[in-house]
Amino acid sequence: MTATARVRPRALVTGASRGLGLALAGLLSELGYDLVLTARGATALERAAAGLRGDGAVHALAGDVTDAGHRARLSERVGEHLDLLVHNASSLGPSPLPALADVDLAAVRSVLETNVVAPLALTQALLPALERAGGTVVAVSSDAAHGGYPGWGVYGASKAALELMARTLAAELEGVCVVRVDPGDMATVMHQQAFPGQDINDRPAPEATLPFWAWLLAQRSEDLDGRRFEAQADAWTLTVETGAA
Amino acid sequence: MSGTTPGVGSGVARAVAPPATLPAELRGTDRDAVRLLVTDPHRHRHLCFRDLPQVLAPGDLLVVNDSATLPASVPAEGPVGRFRVSLSTRYGPLLWVAEPRRSHAEPGPLPLAAGAIATVGHRHRVRVRFVAPHPGLPRLWFVAAEAPLEPVMTADGEPIRYAYLERPQPLEAYQSIFARVPGSAEMPSAARPFTHATLAALRARGVGVSALTLHTGVSSLELEPRQAERTGLYAEPFEVGTATAERIDATQRAGGRVIAVGTTVVRALETAFERGRVRPMRGFTRRFVRPGAVRGAVDGLLTGFHEPRSTHLALLTALAGESLVRDAYQQARARPYLWHEFGDVHLWLPAREPEAAQ
Repeated sequence: MTATARVRPRALVTGASRGLGLALAGLLSELGYDLVLTARGATALERAAAGLRGDGAVHALAGDVTDAGHRARLSERVGEHLDLLVHNASSLGPSPLPALADVDLAAVRSVLETNVVAPLALTQALLPALERAGGTVVAVSSDAAHGGYPGWGVYGASKAALELMARTLAAELEGVCVVRVDPGDMATVMHQQAFPGQDINDRPAPEATLPFWAWLLAQRSEDLDGRRFEAQADAWTLTVETGAA
Repeated sequence: MSGTTPGVGSGVARAVAPPATLPAELRGTDRDAVRLLVTDPHRHRHLCFRDLPQVLAPGDLLVVNDSATLPASVPAEGPVGRFRVSLSTRYGPLLWVAEPRRSHAEPGPLPLAAGAIATVGHRHRVRVRFVAPHPGLPRLWFVAAEAPLEPVMTADGEPIRYAYLERPQPLEAYQSIFARVPGSAEMPSAARPFTHATLAALRARGVGVSALTLHTGVSSLELEPRQAERTGLYAEPFEVGTATAERIDATQRAGGRVIAVGTTVVRALETAFERGRVRPMRGFTRRFVRPGAVRGAVDGLLTGFHEPRSTHLALLTALAGESLVRDAYQQARARPYLWHEFGDVHLWLPAREPEAAQ
């Protein structure tokens, strides 16, 4: 039997109780990561954490990422080193999706709080741990960030802001890698909220993106920093600088 | 360019062609003595592979795949007894996509569940964990290893082989003269007939050769075109270097033709073709080259004769058009040409003559 001693990498995934966050947590668990998972619903989060089969530790902390106290607890739980921070938790806003002309401004503020302010605040709180580990921050975005699709204005604007923050962080931070990922349409609770009453099961399950995440996790962070990827695109590519074929 | 893939598929799927059951050099001839069918929009020519340089023109460029074949089939033991694992694609030092099989000849399926633990190798053993089935391809699994699997392949691996072979062949039989970067689960076989003599004759003719890398996964899997259109093909690692990208661009600008050696090269170049030319690029591609989804990175293709799998036919149809593909398969069946990785080869040329030539 061959075995090599490895220090387990550590990841924090927000919105980890279902959908993409849960699928990604499952992959990271199987790959041997220690996990800190968070989501608002305590019952669903506990169930999700209990279903993970990897050998690493799993810490499930229910709470809202917009709550500074919760962020402090997450940061404390993470400890000294963080290899991967996935900003996956998102708010879609009102369902059915409202036109901007009619949207309730309190709902706009709430979406921006969850999708823009909270990820920045969590990144700030975890920056020392990320810097010590040479970690990677993933901002989960959407094609709505660029789309201008009717009804998607609030969510899309929040994701556009998240993406610009991620690009800026990539330029500002030394030794921490920041990438943006558009996972593509998936059959998730959030996608169902965007299309209430419609059958969305022609969309793939979140697990369809696992090959992409497996690829991403294997890349050198200096090659990824500042880049944007589409998980369901027909290629995931990096620029080649040298003449090696 | 016309038509849809299913129409072609239904026509040629009935084709039964003899597989090459041994490499050419064990059939009493040389690698470069296999036959060559040359198809262009005007005619089919029945030649020998050694005629290749004369069929091409000065200023043409052959683009080859320099991926070397791995001894990717390794023995395994786990909750389902003794079985084999075909290592298909390396995602990271300790993460692979792999196909568990009952044996070389029997695919299974094996009743493995996520979280299953197995040991691969005899002389060099490594514990692996079946992490999750590959989405859309449930016979393939993400497999996490406790230690690198390359030493297992070196100690105990064999080339993946299928039932039509007369007897197992050594790994060397699965390497082309261009093989340089280990990583393919199965031989990129279109380049197999090339010899040093071929290269000398191409050089004398003024035909260039450039390389890229695409590591093939196991070929036993097949996606329906409808699924492939939605999800893309199975993702494979590739790299197009700066020198190759520049040579391709220079060739096309000078009026020469870019001839892909193997469908792997077509997929890599079509992926790397952006804003009017091939760009240096690396990553994973699952691009499905099909009618209506061609960027124009290649002018021609040298390929083997394979089972008329639907995605392979879609690629040929995208490059050559439906009626020409149907004609060519009739020609190949009538002769017949030998199929599979040790068989004959087929050159598809475009209508246009090279502008830089003569």
